[in-house]
Amino acid sequence: MKEQLGESVSAVNGKDGIMVHTVAKERLFEFMKEMKEKGFDSLSLITGVDRKDYLEVVYHLHNFATDEYVEVKTTTDNGVVPSLVSLWSSARWDEREEYDLMGIKFEGHENLKRIFLPENWVGHPLRKDYNLKNIQYINMDKDGEDYATFDPGDGW
Amino acid sequence: MSEFVELNFGPQHPSTHGVLRLKAKLDGEIIRELEPVIGYLHRDAEKLCELTFYADNLILFDRMDYVGSMLMESGYLEAAEKILSIDPPERAQWIRVVMNELSRIAAHLVWAGAFGLDLGMLTPFFYCFAERDKILDIFTEICGTRQETNYMSIGGVYQDITPEIMDHILEFTETFPKRLEEIYKLFVKNDVFISRNKGIGVLDRETAIDYGVTGPMLRASGVNYDVRKAKPYLVYDKVNFEVPVSYKGDNLARFLVRFEELRQSVKIVREAVKKIPDGPHFNPKAKKPMMIRLRGDGEYYARTESAKGEFGVYIVGDGGVKPYRVRVRSPTFKNLSVLPVLAKDQMIADMVAISGTLDLVFGEIDR
Repeated sequence: MKEQLGESVSAVNGKDGIMVHTVAKERLFEFMKEMKEKGFDSLSLITGVDRKDYLEVVYHLHNFATDEYVEVKTTTDNGVVPSLVSLWSSARWDEREEYDLMGIKFEGHENLKRIFLPENWVGHPLRKDYNLKNIQYINMDKDGEDYATFDPGDGW
Repeated sequence: MSEFVELNFGPQHPSTHGVLRLKAKLDGEIIRELEPVIGYLHRDAEKLCELTFYADNLILFDRMDYVGSMLMESGYLEAAEKILSIDPPERAQWIRVVMNELSRIAAHLVWAGAFGLDLGMLTPFFYCFAERDKILDIFTEICGTRQETNYMSIGGVYQDITPEIMDHILEFTETFPKRLEEIYKLFVKNDVFISRNKGIGVLDRETAIDYGVTGPMLRASGVNYDVRKAKPYLVYDKVNFEVPVSYKGDNLARFLVRFEELRQSVKIVREAVKKIPDGPHFNPKAKKPMMIRLRGDGEYYARTESAKGEFGVYIVGDGGVKPYRVRVRSPTFKNLSVLPVLAKDQMIADMVAISGTLDLVFGEIDR
């Protein structure tokens, strides 16, 4: 079951029977805009998958009127994809989370900073090459902002 | 240019339901700008899932929404069992429905008690927790633990349900509705409660959908969406229940929707316990020593209705004994992201009431 949709490829390849559209990241924003006009009013989930030599970004879209779910996939070599905050507000926190843990940069996000970890944390934990043995500690400075440090004496 | 007072709220504060920190810019007593700071309970469960076996990951999900842990377990298993191609037998599916709904009652009771505390009402808290304890006693009987149950497992449930436990559950469904109405009256017969919630924190339908809000919050804003009805999983298509919807979208609407859900959950439990069929409670393909050798392949996105909203689990398998990538769609994470919109131009005290109706559980937001 394959069909050509502009420059994107659509197929069902997961076990869940959800239609997957694969789009080049240059066309992602226009494609998503079309999807929103088609009635997909909610961006349910953004997932980054580290495929070792490239990053894959998976978007789950939901249409509340027909209860239809679709996946939109795109790949990136340098970790930069366009931001979708102007289309769905739910992207605002999801993109910050994926930036924090996976290191994907969303171009056009107005406030792309880490959401869980302190701003100076080294590395992105969900990357496959992240070194788990390199322990970082968290402390708080005089202004009440958290910071990360490698010095165990400085941690809590 | 007017000057604002900056107020730091939390992370250790009784009315933030955990470790939520809010940075507010105040104009007198009115909030002009609000920024939630989260991550204090973060332990990166998604990474930990990649490091352990499919079967072992279950305990990480217990610790997400720790007040309703059975719902988290069945949410994870919904995806993991499809990846591993193991089907739970019919009896296990019915037991899971019973446990899910008991867990939903327990989770909503925690919310109701804490919501009362946010508004300065101490009494309902004790009523709610006394009832919740009866459910936790049932959980203790069935699996030995009160909160982080780890009861379900890949291929079914870990221990069979006995007739005595079924009697205890039925006994609970007899006594609970009367107590529930008592608790309900404690809230709604209180004029202060009504005036502090009616018309406060109105969330309209478009904003709710735009921010990805789900669960009782979305249903209080007029969207009839419940995963149990929209895409029935387990045996939810074989039980009778209704989905409460309100069109007001304010604090009171969210309160009423959750209370109606409590009544519906009792109905489901009563019906499902009687319908549990005979048979095995466990799929022998996933028996104990074999469990960690199961290999998963492919991708699966499973959505379930947790106490807070649509709980989604997206698993990518690479044919190994450990998942390649696990992604959790946390409903409270999305529900919290709408708080800056709701609290804008409201009083500080109203912001506490609004955040009370979001039903925040930080184990799930921070993961």
